[in-house]
Amino acid sequence: MSIEIAVSVQDIHAAVETVNDPEYPGISIVDLGLLENIKVNEIGEVVIHLIPTFSGCPALQMIAQDVREVIEKLSGVKKVDVVWLNSPVWNVSRVTAKAEKDLAEKFTVAVQLQDRKVECPRCQSETTIKSHFGPSRCRSVHVCSGCNEIVETLRD
Amino acid sequence: MKRSWASLEEFEQFLDNGGIVEPVDDMPREYRQAVFDFIEMHANSELMGGLTERDWIPKAPGLRHKMSVIAKTQDEIGHAHLLYMVAADLKIKTREEMMQDLFAGKSKFHNVFHYRAKTWGDQVAIAFLVDAAALVSQQAVFKNCSYGPYKRILRRIIAEEGFHLRFGEESVLRIAEGTEVQRSMFQESINDWWWPALQLFGPDSKPNDLLLRWHIKSERNEILRDRWIQKFVPLLQGYGFTIPDSGLRRNEEKDRWEIGPIDWEPLKQTMVMGGPDSARRISEASDSWDKTGWVREALEKVSV
Repeated sequence: MSIEIAVSVQDIHAAVETVNDPEYPGISIVDLGLLENIKVNEIGEVVIHLIPTFSGCPALQMIAQDVREVIEKLSGVKKVDVVWLNSPVWNVSRVTAKAEKDLAEKFTVAVQLQDRKVECPRCQSETTIKSHFGPSRCRSVHVCSGCNEIVETLRD
Repeated sequence: MKRSWASLEEFEQFLDNGGIVEPVDDMPREYRQAVFDFIEMHANSELMGGLTERDWIPKAPGLRHKMSVIAKTQDEIGHAHLLYMVAADLKIKTREEMMQDLFAGKSKFHNVFHYRAKTWGDQVAIAFLVDAAALVSQQAVFKNCSYGPYKRILRRIIAEEGFHLRFGEESVLRIAEGTEVQRSMFQESINDWWWPALQLFGPDSKPNDLLLRWHIKSERNEILRDRWIQKFVPLLQGYGFTIPDSGLRRNEEKDRWEIGPIDWEPLKQTMVMGGPDSARRISEASDSWDKTGWVREALEKVSV
């Protein structure tokens, strides 16, 4: 027996991937690790579970709205719920290698993984931490020992 | 690798060919000073802007607006933080000296932060008109900026300011669809903020403007100002608001808006700290710096 599926998880996933972080245009929220899972039933009711980089992030509403808009456009979708989860808690290991590369190349932003020194995105020299907070809770500020670059760093 | 140039002419040739200057380079003294002054003013403006924004956290109408105001405050202060670091790296003034000069009224910040935001309507007008004006000028600087660290930080600042503008547009839409009282409050705010926002671009650029010659800025003030006018006149009129300019007219032949004469006196006043709210703003910034000293001290201890 086969069940007619109104819309596939793959299609929904591909659509969510087109949504960019409002503060890093061109970098997908999926690559930043914000998508936790997708649920869809046979009549096309979709639930998207997202997790925030930090719970006070001002972009949550905007991101949810952007996700809702792209999903609503898919054929077979009847209803969309976008839910921000409290757990699991986001951490930088959820950021994909592609996003890390794009952040470095397009925005000179580094990603701080546990037990790994933050390298300068420009010259790969070591950096030292200058302050624990940058323009938001999920970013710190480092200074490059090689080229003096001020390096914003995505962190837990 | 440290680069140096035999003469100012040779350096200018390098800039004209699209060369990017880095902090380790042996750049001409005049260029170093010009870049420093420009970034210091930008940093000061972000800080003053963040403090203005902060004043509206307790007064924002509703949780959503409150969150956006908190976020913007955090962003602006964060931008100031990054820009002061880039400025300090030019080794003309230390960060501490920049702060002291700001509090002593000795260094500049944007004209719009010399006025007082009295109502939520003012706050929305700032988020819409002023943020857009700042974004238009930052985009133009970014496009062709010859100083590397500033150009790279601008790229991130611009992405965040674009995000702020979405908040601004959303807030304007809500007020425009609001009650008559809300709409008339916003009309008053437009009346008060239209000219200061327009003057943020400054008077027409002089033919020998060094910022343009050295590719620190890439477009003339009057061109940027006009770009903003062409966008915001139809937008505000579309929402049913009036532009406070009796000389404003539509040139159908050229398909553009032409404005009346600009009175530059208010801008001149703000440049010498004589704006309507200059003194209070500066003393508030200074108080805030003193009161938060313990936070900086505590964080420094954590870093070590």
